[in-house]
Amino acid sequence: MKQIIDKWGKSIGIYLFLMILFPFVMPDEYYRSVGIIIGLQAIVTIGLCLVMGLAGQISLGQASFWGIGAYTSAVLTTKYGLPPFVGLIAAAVVPGLFAFILGRAIAGLQGYYLAMATLAFGYIVQIGITEWESVTGGANGMISIPQMTFFGGSELSMYFLIWGVVTCVLLFSLNLLNSRVGRAFRAIHKSEIAATSMGIDVRKFKLNAFVVSGMFAGISGGLYAHYMGILDPQPFGLHESIKFLTMVVIGGMTSIWGALIGTILIGFISEGLILLGEVVPGLQGDVDTIVFGAILVLIIMFMPEGLVPRIRAAFEKGQAKKAKAMADDAQRKQQVERKAAT
Amino acid sequence: MGKAVLTVDNITARYGPVEVLHGITLQVNEGEIVSLLGANGAGKTTLLNCICGLHGDKEGKIWFRDADITRVPAELVVPRGMAHVPERRQIFSTLTVEDNLWLGASHRMPKTSKKEIAKEMETVYERFPILAERKWQLGGTLSGGQQQMLAIGRALLSRPQLLLLDEPSLGLAPLIAKEILTIVQEIRSEWGTTVLLVEQNARAALAISDRAYVLSTGTVMLEGKADEISNDPRVQSAYLGSSHEAV
Repeated sequence: MKQIIDKWGKSIGIYLFLMILFPFVMPDEYYRSVGIIIGLQAIVTIGLCLVMGLAGQISLGQASFWGIGAYTSAVLTTKYGLPPFVGLIAAAVVPGLFAFILGRAIAGLQGYYLAMATLAFGYIVQIGITEWESVTGGANGMISIPQMTFFGGSELSMYFLIWGVVTCVLLFSLNLLNSRVGRAFRAIHKSEIAATSMGIDVRKFKLNAFVVSGMFAGISGGLYAHYMGILDPQPFGLHESIKFLTMVVIGGMTSIWGALIGTILIGFISEGLILLGEVVPGLQGDVDTIVFGAILVLIIMFMPEGLVPRIRAAFEKGQAKKAKAMADDAQRKQQVERKAAT
Repeated sequence: MGKAVLTVDNITARYGPVEVLHGITLQVNEGEIVSLLGANGAGKTTLLNCICGLHGDKEGKIWFRDADITRVPAELVVPRGMAHVPERRQIFSTLTVEDNLWLGASHRMPKTSKKEIAKEMETVYERFPILAERKWQLGGTLSGGQQQMLAIGRALLSRPQLLLLDEPSLGLAPLIAKEILTIVQEIRSEWGTTVLLVEQNARAALAISDRAYVLSTGTVMLEGKADEISNDPRVQSAYLGSSHEAV
């Protein structure tokens, strides 16, 4: 923990400041709810970032873990009357279990094959939710899911509850990145054979990353269910999975901060498009999908490492330039002084 | 010489339908440097991959100390005390030098404390001062010789009893190659590590070895003390070549 504060103290400070400031600058309930949704998505994308950026795997089914989490908590609380807190724990455990079984089954797959397998899993889950009417309410969905009563249950308290979870997830992931485990993941990402030669159990590490990402998505799903109060299978499909993927890629796969910033950016762009749609009549409907697709293509063409690593590199280059300029100045000064002395 | 650290008993290995090793038997004793020589395609790297568990399609037996490790997967062989420095070094080019070294010790954590490993890392840095200088540089930015030092240093941090070195002089300038081989010799005397060395550069390898095996198309063609091998007329004509060969 001390190490992350040393390394990322400044970034964490800025993050906390902006996060706490946001709902007060935007006193509008609507924008607070936008903030909540972005937070929920950030929990998923940080988990996805662990799978993609660290373990070098790809998941096109992240929305399905999100959905499993949402429905687990919703069914347990609505049908069986359990408190939302218990529902949330189940919302972490059950998707984690699914991720474990899926991860075990597809452990040998890589690249396209892994993408296809997770894609298929995503479809199976969405279809399963739709068809299992007796439990999930099918395509009609579920209503009157109990709200979380967290400090009165207002929009503002919900905002802080969710961003509190985001902060925990963020710190956990940064800590992981900075530990022995993170180092092993980066080694696996570079070369699995060389990592094996170091005595690293590649399969186990990849499976763990997959399970953790599934659990993060599940927690987020559970929170989503209690926040919305209603559920239907529609948001838990491929469209959402791709959206999560886009967020991670834009921010930069190899950086946890990248996942967070990518999520916020996409959230803001969505809102901007909605505002723009009110002014420009042609910009309604699924324009956001087109825009996100275009952004993804542009990022992959011009900035494949993503925004955050690129900005960091530019910043470090600037620092180096500054340091060099200062050193040059000092040298010149010395020369002048030496000349003056002679 | 001490007792056997590694015993390879009649190993046959194949890639799909093609058999590339036809019954190899060899032994490495405690404290020895043993070279494995042979031309391109003789099966040296395959044999090494069989030993360390990276190549699974094999028959025969491999013993490490008193345990049968024939079917032990590669990641579990390392904790038993066998480190493999693969061909072309395989350092993690996008990780820093320091992180590369930490990875060498990864199977020992968290059992061994960070402090203790950091102390050992200092001895590695003392041995390779250039690595200490470049601690925070990315592995990929090092020169070939420095990368080889990093790969060896990384392997040492797994506290091996037996070090498998696959062509450490590959792609290095002759002088650097010689330096690396001298380092291997020093490691044996400083750390007491037993070494199985695969080399194409036969003359240089024999100069630092106690014994050697010469592989030819998947069989052991010749084995014996290093100086006997270097004087063997067959080896001289086939591998040591005419007198103008470098190093």
